[in-house]
Amino acid sequence: MHATMSAEEDLADVKRVLAGEAQAFEGVVRRWQGPLVNMAWRYCRDRGRAEEMAQEAFLRAWRGLAGWRRESSFSTWLFALAANVFRSELQRFPAVNVPLEDAAEPAGPATQLEGLARKQSDDAVRRAVLALPHRYREPVVLYYFHEMDVASASRTMGLPEGTVKARLARGREMLRKRFPQLSEERTPLLGSSLGPEKEVMQ
Amino acid sequence: MKSNLNLKTHDGAIDQILASEEQLIPTSGFLAATMERVREEAACPKPIPFPWLRALPGIVVGVAVLGWCGFELVRVVLSNAHEISLAQVHVTGANWSALEPAGWVAAALAVSLLSWLFARRLAGRTGLL
Repeated sequence: MHATMSAEEDLADVKRVLAGEAQAFEGVVRRWQGPLVNMAWRYCRDRGRAEEMAQEAFLRAWRGLAGWRRESSFSTWLFALAANVFRSELQRFPAVNVPLEDAAEPAGPATQLEGLARKQSDDAVRRAVLALPHRYREPVVLYYFHEMDVASASRTMGLPEGTVKARLARGREMLRKRFPQLSEERTPLLGSSLGPEKEVMQ
Repeated sequence: MKSNLNLKTHDGAIDQILASEEQLIPTSGFLAATMERVREEAACPKPIPFPWLRALPGIVVGVAVLGWCGFELVRVVLSNAHEISLAQVHVTGANWSALEPAGWVAAALAVSLLSWLFARRLAGRTGLL
């Protein structure tokens, strides 16, 4: 999704904004509102707050547009800026979450409607990510937001890939321990994508 | 999102759950609300930058005067160093009474500094800074 965003359009809009045409920023917001709201959602899992945080990120981007040095792509710059905004917003007002050990137990397969049970189970795991210690939470959030791409996650966090991999492995280890029953419940699907996944597990 | 994940391992199950999250669609008013705030910011006059160019001569003069004072102080101390001995340093009661106001001033400065640091810390927590 992100890769298909038009870098040329971003560049053109940024040039127009820097030339004094504030309205040109609308193109940037239009293209990136979905990714930024979804990224914020993964940080807080509160829809209203996610939009507020995404809006704040856009405003910071607007103010700091001249600071984009074009050494990296616009999306890399924007995601890194947004991650900083979300991080500091959540430091000021932490997302309501529970300790990892108190995270809701995934519903078992015996629950009456299997589809609902699966959804509840998945939601429990997703919410448990917010209960991870901060240093492990953000790599997990960004790794999956960036479609399991360690390099993108590390660029967004401004950390070396090795550090992100190590924290990601630790975060997933904590989730694995919290939800040991997941492997028994899931049935393998055909096909696999072992690119970045394989890289992380090594 | 990648959906064909290897689910043979436990990590695969976690990957499947975390990577297959449904995409949120921003509310219809999000774009308009964001652009409204951008336009508000754009309409505000830019903050007046500090006039470094005008202030530069004053800064240079200030630094020069301070440097000259420091140099003179060191020169005077060094030239009189042979005349100063520890035996001469004794503080009489009259000296102490002269120093007392200075102590209060120092205490007041210290309290001011502490309260400024405390206020700054509080403001930082609430995002005012």
